[in-house]
Amino acid sequence: MTNSQDNNLFENLRLELRRGSLVLAVLACLRSEQYGYTLRKALADRGMEIEEGTLYPLLRRLESQGLLLSEWREADKRNKRFYRLSPLGSEVLEKLLAEWNSIDSSLNEIVKG
Amino acid sequence: MTPLERYLSFLSKLLPAGQREDILRELSEDIQSEMDDKESELGRPLTEPEQLQILKRRGNPLQVAAGYTNNKGTLSFGPQLIGPVLFPFYARVLAFNLGLTFVIIGTVFAALSLSGQPIHVGSLFSNVLLQLFVQLVAVTIIFVLVEKHLSRQPQEWDAKEFEKPLKASIRDRIDKKIQLQMREVSRFDSISVLIASGIALLWIQSLWAKPFLIFGPAASLITFAPVWHRIYLPTVFIMLAAIVRACINLAQPNWVRFRDVAAVVLDATALALIYVLMFAHTWVVPLDATSGAQHIASAVNQWIAIGIWPAAVIALFQAIKSFVRLYKNWRWSGTANG
Repeated sequence: MTNSQDNNLFENLRLELRRGSLVLAVLACLRSEQYGYTLRKALADRGMEIEEGTLYPLLRRLESQGLLLSEWREADKRNKRFYRLSPLGSEVLEKLLAEWNSIDSSLNEIVKG
Repeated sequence: MTPLERYLSFLSKLLPAGQREDILRELSEDIQSEMDDKESELGRPLTEPEQLQILKRRGNPLQVAAGYTNNKGTLSFGPQLIGPVLFPFYARVLAFNLGLTFVIIGTVFAALSLSGQPIHVGSLFSNVLLQLFVQLVAVTIIFVLVEKHLSRQPQEWDAKEFEKPLKASIRDRIDKKIQLQMREVSRFDSISVLIASGIALLWIQSLWAKPFLIFGPAASLITFAPVWHRIYLPTVFIMLAAIVRACINLAQPNWVRFRDVAAVVLDATALALIYVLMFAHTWVVPLDATSGAQHIASAVNQWIAIGIWPAAVIALFQAIKSFVRLYKNWRWSGTANG
C-alpha cells in the first residue's frame, strides 16, 4: 500500500469514527440554547470541527426526530434560529452518554490487553 | 448584488422546495455571521474576493444542497457511477425527462388517433421503450461525467458565476416563514376566521328563518328535524366564540396559547355536535303526510346520511390538528421557560 492510500484509509476511518460521536457532541452542546453559528464555533473551540453542510442538515434531522426544538428570534438585530434540547432529547442524551462511557471503558480495557 | 445573494440564488434552485426558504434563511444567517466575525477581526468591510473566498470554502453548492435532501441513493454497476451528492439531482432530471417524454408521445399518438390514423399497440410500445432507453442512457452518461469531475475536484467551483438575482417571491416567502415561526397569530389568520365565522353565522340565521334558502321549492313539503333545534344554540355559540377569539387575537397577536386553547375547545365542541348529528338518523321531516313529502324527506335524509361522514372526518382531522398544535406550542414554551 502506498503512503497516500494509507492516508486515505486512515482519513476515512477517522471520519467514520467522528461521525458517530457528532450527534452526541451536538446534543450535549445544545443543553443550553444556541444558534447554528455559535454552536459551530463552540464545537470547533472544543476540537470538534464540523462543516456547515453537515451541521445544518444534522440539526434538521434531530429536530424532525423530536430531539431538538427550534425557534426564530431576533438577536443582534438579525433573525436567528435558536436550537435547544427537547425533553426527549435530554432523555436520549443521558442514555447516549451512559453508552459512550461504557464503550470508552470497554475500549480502554481491550486496548490495555 | 452581493456574492452572498448570488450564491443563495443559485443554491435556491437546488434545495428541496418544501424547506427552501427556511434553509436559505438559516444558511444566509450563518454566512453573514461568519462575514461579520471576519470584518471585526480585520477592522474593515470585506472585499468581494474575500467574500467569495468564504463562500468557496463552503464547498460546491451541489454538495451543500445534497446534504438537505432525504434521497441518499447511488447508482452503481460494480463501481459507484453516481454518488449520493448528485443522485437526487439525477433522479429529479430523469423523472422530469421521462415524464416529458411520456406527455409528448401521448400527445402525438392522441393526435394521430383523432385524425383517424390507425394506431398499433406494438408501435406505441416500441416507441415508448426506445425513447425511455435514449433518455435514460443520455441523462446517465451526463451525470456520470459530472460525478467524475466533481470527485476529482470537489472544491472547484466559481462563485462569480452566480449572477441571477434571488427572486423577490422567494425573499417574501422567507420573511413570511420567519414571521410564522415567531409564534404570533397572523393578522391574516384572525381576519380570515372573522370573515368566515361572520358569514357562517349570518347564513345559519338566514336558513333558520327561511328554510327556502336551502330546501328551495321543497320547503313547502319538508322542514328541519328536532335534532337541529338541539344543536342550533351550541352552533351559534361556536361561531360567536370564534369571532370573539379572532377579535382578541387581532388586538393581541402574541396570545398564541389563547388561540391554541380556544381552537381546541371550539373544534372539540364542533366534533361533539357532528357526533350528535351523525346518530340522529333523521335530519329532515315531512310537513304533511302526503306521499310526495314522505318521498322527498326520505331522499334528503339518504343524501345527508352519506354527506355527514366526510364532514365528520374533516371535523376530526381539524380537532386533532388543533390539539397537536396546542401540545407542540405548550411543550416549546414549557422548555423555553426552563
